[in-house]
Amino acid sequence: MRGAPPAFAPVEDRSVAFRWDLDKTYLRTEFESLRKMVRIPFEGGADKVHLPGVPQLIRALRRRAEAQDNRPYVFFLSASPRQIGSAVRDKLALDEIEYDGITFKDQLGHLVRGRWSSLREQVGYKLDELLSARLGGPAASCEYLFGDDWESDPLIYSLYADVLSGGIDLETLKRILVAVDVRKASVLRILDRAEVLFGTAPDAVEQIYINLERRTPPSRFRAYGPRVVPTFNTLQAAASLYQSRRLELDDVIDVARAQLGVEGQGGHRLRNSIDDLTRRGHLRLEIRDRVVRRFAREELAPLAKGEAALRTRLRAALATFRRRKQKAPLGRADYETLLAQWENH
Amino acid sequence: MPRVVVDAMGGDFAPEEMVRAVSQVSLESDIQMVLVGHAEQIQALLDAGEYNPELISVRHCGSVIGMSEDPREAIRAKKDASISVAARMVALGEADAMVSAGNTGACVLAAAKHWKLLAGIRKAALASVFPRQTEYEGQDQLGLLLDVGATIRCEAVELAQFGVMGSAYARCISKVASPRVGLLNMGAEANKGGDVLVEANRLLAGLPAIGFIGNVEGHDVATGHADVVVAEGLLGNVVLKLLEGVAEVASSLANNAAHESWRWRFGMAMLSPGIERMRTLADFQTYGGAPILGFEHVCIKAHGRSRSGAIGNAIKVSAKAVRDGIIPDIAQKIAELR
Repeated sequence: MRGAPPAFAPVEDRSVAFRWDLDKTYLRTEFESLRKMVRIPFEGGADKVHLPGVPQLIRALRRRAEAQDNRPYVFFLSASPRQIGSAVRDKLALDEIEYDGITFKDQLGHLVRGRWSSLREQVGYKLDELLSARLGGPAASCEYLFGDDWESDPLIYSLYADVLSGGIDLETLKRILVAVDVRKASVLRILDRAEVLFGTAPDAVEQIYINLERRTPPSRFRAYGPRVVPTFNTLQAAASLYQSRRLELDDVIDVARAQLGVEGQGGHRLRNSIDDLTRRGHLRLEIRDRVVRRFAREELAPLAKGEAALRTRLRAALATFRRRKQKAPLGRADYETLLAQWENH
Repeated sequence: MPRVVVDAMGGDFAPEEMVRAVSQVSLESDIQMVLVGHAEQIQALLDAGEYNPELISVRHCGSVIGMSEDPREAIRAKKDASISVAARMVALGEADAMVSAGNTGACVLAAAKHWKLLAGIRKAALASVFPRQTEYEGQDQLGLLLDVGATIRCEAVELAQFGVMGSAYARCISKVASPRVGLLNMGAEANKGGDVLVEANRLLAGLPAIGFIGNVEGHDVATGHADVVVAEGLLGNVVLKLLEGVAEVASSLANNAAHESWRWRFGMAMLSPGIERMRTLADFQTYGGAPILGFEHVCIKAHGRSRSGAIGNAIKVSAKAVRDGIIPDIAQKIAELR
C-alpha cells in the first residue's frame, strides 16, 4: 500500500553532487571467484586498491567546484554489506577523500529475513537509495553519476536522471522495475518517491560515467543516449569532465600521471585513450587537441608525427559521428529498446 | 613494445576481420597497433566488440586497393591507399612492422616504394609457409618456401641471400635451432640445374652458419627434408600453387568418394579424426601469414581469405619478429656473406 507522499528537500542553487559506486568504480574489488570474495571481509583499508586516478579525480572535482563557488557533495552508494564499511572508510581516509555520505546494503538483514533474492537485487536497492537521498537532501542543482558495467548502473542512473527530469512516465518506470525483477514492496516505494520527485529538476543529472571494467562494447550503451559516457579508464572521464568545465587541464594531467604511475603505462596509451573518446563522439576535437598538446608539453606523450594532418583526418571522421549523435534522442534513454533488449536477454 | 600497423582495408573480409583481430590482440597482449583505413567504419566496428583502446590507434585514409586491381597501376594512382599509408608510417618510424591481407602485389610494391632494402640485399623475397611431414623431433610442422613471387628470375647470389634470410626467419619464428636449408633443383647433385643453380649451390655451401643441406627435389618439399626451401620466384610460385592445387583435389576427391557409396562414407568417417588433424595443420588461419624478407622493416603478408584468428597470429608473429631482432640478424648474416 502506498502511504502519504514524502516531503522533499528543495533544490540547492550552485551545488553539485558527485555520486559514486564503490566496487569496480572506485575500488578494484575482485569478486570474480569465490576465493577472492571470501578474502574481502578480512581486508583492511590499506589492503584495498583503488582504480588508477580515481582519488585524484574526486579530489579535483571537489576542489574545482569550490573554486567555481559551487557547493560540492561527494556520496558513495554501494551494494556491499555494511560489515565492510569500516575498511572502506579507512581506505577513503588514506586516499584523503572528503565525502558527505556513504551507504551500504543491509545484506545481513536480508540474510536473516531469508530474502535471498534481495541479496543480489541491485536496481530496486540502488534506485530507492538514490531517490531517498535526493528527497532527504541535499538536492544538488547538478549531479554527476559514476558507475561500472558489472551490474545495472547505467539503467539505475538513467532511471534516476529521468525521474528528476520528468523524462520517464511512472507507468514505464513500473514496467521496467517489474521486468528486471524488483520486489513488489520496493517497486511501490520507488514509485512513491518518484511521484514526488518527478520533473522537479529537469537538467539535474548532467552526465553518467560508466567504467567499462568488463570491456563491454560501447555500442551496447547507445540506447541510454548521449548522457551516458562509457569510459575505459579514469583519464577518459577526466577529459570529459574537463570539457564540461568541471576540471582544469592541470587536473587531467594529474589523473594521467596517476594512470602512468600505477599501470606503468606508456604515454601512447594516454593519447590513444583520448583519441578513442574523441572518435566515439564524447570529446570535441579542440578539447582533444588541448589535452594532447599538454601531454606533449609535460613529456607524458609526444605528439604524433604529422599531428596537423592527423587532426584534419580526425575532424573528417568526427563529422560523421556528430551527425549520428544529433539523430540520437537528447537526454533521456530509449527505454522501449532497453526493455526489448532485457526481455530478449 | 612493438608497434604494428595493420592494413584494415586489405583482404576478402576487411575491415571486419581486421578490426576484430586487432581488438582481440589488444585484450591479450601489449602490442601497440595502428589500424589504417576508413576511420568511421573502423570505430563503428570497434564499438561493437570488446577492445582495449589504450593499445589501438586509428589512422584515417581515403582509398583502398582491391584484391583484383593491377598493383603497379593502383600503387601509382592511389597515393592514400591504406597499404601505402601503412608502409609510409613504418618508413617514418611511426610503427615497427606492417601486416596486410590485401593485394599481394600491392603489398610488395608499397614496401618496395617506401622502404629500403637491407645493405647488400639485391632483391626482396616473398616467403610462404606450407604444411609438410616432419623428419626429426622438434621440427616445425610448417616449412618455409621463398621466393614465391616477389621475383621472377634470380641470380645465384640472390638465391644465396634468400637462403640466409629464410634461415634467420625460421630460427626466430619456428624456434628451430639450426634450420635445414635446401635449394630447389631437378636433382640432388651439386652440378645439376644450370649455371645459376650450380653457382647458388656453391655459395650456399660456403656458408656454414646456415645449415645448407644441398639441393632438394620436388618431393623433398613435402617430406620435410628441408626447413627452408630456396627457389626463384617463378619456380617457387609454381610449387606453392601446385601444393595448394593438390590439397584442393585431395579434399574434393574425398568429398566425392563419400557420396559414392556407403562403404566409402563409412571409411571416411573412420578416417575423419586424421583428416581433421591434416586440415588443422594445413589451415593457414593457424600460422597467420608469411614474411616479405629483405627490407629494413618487418612485413607479414596474411592470406587474402584470412579471418580474425589468422590476422591476430600474423600481428603476433610480426611483433615477435621485431622483438627478437630478426632484421638486424638478417643484416648481420648478409654482411658476413659479403
